[in-house]
Amino acid sequence: MGFSQHKDPVLAANEAITQATIALGDDPEPVSLAIIFTSIELAHPVILKVVNNLLGETPILGCSSLGIMTNQGVFKHGFAVLLIILGQHAFFNVAAVKEISKKDSQLAGKELGDKLLFGFRNVPRSLSIILSDKLTTEGPHLISGLQESLGRSFPLIGAATFDNFEGRKAYQYLNKEMLEDSCSGILLGGKFSYGLGIKHGWLALGKMRCITASSGNVIQEIDSAPAIRLYEEYFGKNIVELSKELRHISTYYPLGIYLPGEKEYLLRNIISIKDNGSLVTQGDIPANSKIRLMISTEDSRLQATVTACEEAKRKLGVQKVKFVIVFESTARSSFFGKQDNSELCMIKEIFGESVPLIGIYTNGEQAPLKAINYLGRTYFHNQSINILAIGEQ
Amino acid sequence: MPFVFLSLCLLLAVLGVVLLNKVQRLKELKEKVVALNFSLEEMDEQAKLIMRTDMELNKAQEELDKKVAGLDILQKLSREISTTLEEKQIFKKINNQYVEELGFEKSLAFLWKSLEREFQLYLSLGYSPDESLKIKAAVNENKDYFLDLIKSGSTASSDFVAEGALTKSKINHLFMVRSFIICPVLAQEGDQGFIFVGTQNLETTITKGDREFISILANQIGQTLDNARLFEKTWRSQQELELKVEERTRQLTQALEEVKKISKRKSDFISSVSHEIRTPLTSIKGYAAILLGSKLGALPEEVRVRLEKINRHSDELVHMVNDLLDISRIESGKVIIKKEPLSLKAMSEKMADLFSEQFRTKNITFKSEVPENCEGILADRSQIERVFINLVGNALKFTPQNGNITISAERLNNVIQVNVKDSGFGIPEDAQEAIFEEFYRVDNTINQEVKGTGLGLTLVKHIVEAHQGKIWVKSKLGEGSTFSFTLNAA
Repeated sequence: MGFSQHKDPVLAANEAITQATIALGDDPEPVSLAIIFTSIELAHPVILKVVNNLLGETPILGCSSLGIMTNQGVFKHGFAVLLIILGQHAFFNVAAVKEISKKDSQLAGKELGDKLLFGFRNVPRSLSIILSDKLTTEGPHLISGLQESLGRSFPLIGAATFDNFEGRKAYQYLNKEMLEDSCSGILLGGKFSYGLGIKHGWLALGKMRCITASSGNVIQEIDSAPAIRLYEEYFGKNIVELSKELRHISTYYPLGIYLPGEKEYLLRNIISIKDNGSLVTQGDIPANSKIRLMISTEDSRLQATVTACEEAKRKLGVQKVKFVIVFESTARSSFFGKQDNSELCMIKEIFGESVPLIGIYTNGEQAPLKAINYLGRTYFHNQSINILAIGEQ
Repeated sequence: MPFVFLSLCLLLAVLGVVLLNKVQRLKELKEKVVALNFSLEEMDEQAKLIMRTDMELNKAQEELDKKVAGLDILQKLSREISTTLEEKQIFKKINNQYVEELGFEKSLAFLWKSLEREFQLYLSLGYSPDESLKIKAAVNENKDYFLDLIKSGSTASSDFVAEGALTKSKINHLFMVRSFIICPVLAQEGDQGFIFVGTQNLETTITKGDREFISILANQIGQTLDNARLFEKTWRSQQELELKVEERTRQLTQALEEVKKISKRKSDFISSVSHEIRTPLTSIKGYAAILLGSKLGALPEEVRVRLEKINRHSDELVHMVNDLLDISRIESGKVIIKKEPLSLKAMSEKMADLFSEQFRTKNITFKSEVPENCEGILADRSQIERVFINLVGNALKFTPQNGNITISAERLNNVIQVNVKDSGFGIPEDAQEAIFEEFYRVDNTINQEVKGTGLGLTLVKHIVEAHQGKIWVKSKLGEGSTFSFTLNAA
């Protein structure tokens, strides 16, 4: 694991990869895969060129992000690299699908799935990690396409890096290519084990409501009234005032979809309000969904992080944790503010200081639900923290 | 049959009771549902209250966090900036991290250069070089607006833009942001300017707190610019002063060398002239003595009187020549001071003995007040004796009838201060330093009556200094004088 805060991309890549190489120790086995994360201003083809030069033919997967988490801390600017040595009997494949906005999302997802499956005949598949520009609106279809190829209940973990609120660009890295408007991913299989924990820490408050009219990620009516009425009633503000404070209200008090059997509600941020009072959410909400307004405290959010870590660790059983990947919602990061490091300390305390840790801040996460009635299918999450612990085989 | 009828009646009655019970329970359950619904509605109202309160608390907390973070950043920035004494370096201390922590991702600083009649860019964060150049050109195109802002000392921000050439949307367009604060950087002297911070974040609302923070930062920059400019000015003055001092020192060194040369020439001259004078003087004195001794026959009375005058004046001349030669020898280091332990008390008694006749004639009371701890001094016997003779002799000369002369001493660590005090006429304040110079004589009636060479105190000073001591005088006209000098204790 290596990290650099150099502003110069060449120096940043050089410093981080040197650190990571040293951390592998003397005479290490060949590196199987490199995961790289950069901040936006370091998202430059030069950095990828330097990484490729330094790592040779090592497959590279990564993306840009609004923030990076490593063992060293939480940073807004920098470059992080995780060099992974997988066991002899572990297999993986990296691939990407480009120009997703121009394609049918379902087909784009299937295309990615097919590419990932290349070379996986007769090899048991374990997990797929997807890094995407946008997973918000067309995301479910893209994931559906992927599942068509990989299997409906196949575990998929995804992270979207596009900033819905500020419209900042996001980039994906795949081997020698720096991609925009794309979705890249990795399929892991063979002798490979992992543990996943996903939590958010928001609790329901107030009466349960019913989505009476919706399409995709637009809620037209709640309890047969314009959807905005819910927020107007609860916050005593009109549509104009709510629009002004939308980001604040949406991140603090998202909607929660009731999922029978699940311990937590599935969160949905409101990303805009339409003139007719419809709410546009970050992710779909099907009609007839039971929803409630959600609230959280600092303790509940931190406790969620602890629970997610413990869950990921528990699923690995007695296996030693080789490294940890974190996908955490950018919104959560803004809540913690200067306490980002206290959350990081909690994660490190659970997995151990020496376990390499790398993570990014996301705007939407994909992960399977736990209850048996969801058949392990992947759902789109908001404001969650996904902890993926990879085991030592 | 009646039994069947009765049984049916009983059954109906039982059914009726059960039905009644059911109806009653249904009624009760309905009431419970109503109550539960009511509770639920009440709880929902409470939930609304909780939400609103929580939102207010969160807002307050966010504002507080923002203020604390802002203050923290301002403190760090102030510390960094205030220690900078170079104008350009001040702006280099402001980096992305600080600006971001204040809630902005773009920042610019311009200073108005009155000579060039344009705004120059001193800081650019969050912009590419091309964007910075474009903004600089746009700022100079609208320089009047920004100069007015500086002149009025007012802050412009997204929530308030005073009427002028630029509107809020124009400023947003010019700086490529969605929210901004522009605050003048006011320095007491020199060029003034403004600092700009902005963000593209749609959600950002500029608060009063934000404006205050940027205003504090601008003030801090203004003060630091003043300090830097003052430092620059002072540094330049100091450089000029140092050059002047260097030049003056060089001139003084040259002059000193000249003085030394002249002084040496003077000493050499005095020394050679004194030697040359002393030889014929000895002859004059010898011949005068022969003539006065009537070895060449009796002399008429008039001749004797004249010869006695020649003899007396020759003695004075010899005395003067000897003093001059001594001064010259001490100055040139030819006299070797042989220090030995001496008794100050014995020296004082010797003076009392030496001048006893004169004390008696003028009825002068002589006192010796030498404490035990000042008993031993380290000095050259013959030289220090001349010091005492000169000082006591002078005191005697300038002390009128029935006066007092006292020799006293005091010890300070390893140094003994000897004081020769008289109740004489005193020395005018303006002459107290000059009396130690060669041939200087205070202009008073005594000096007009009593003859002297004006070399005695000069010789005394040279001897004391040759003993690594100091000599000075404290005197008041009509009250007497005290000559003090220092010697090392034995």
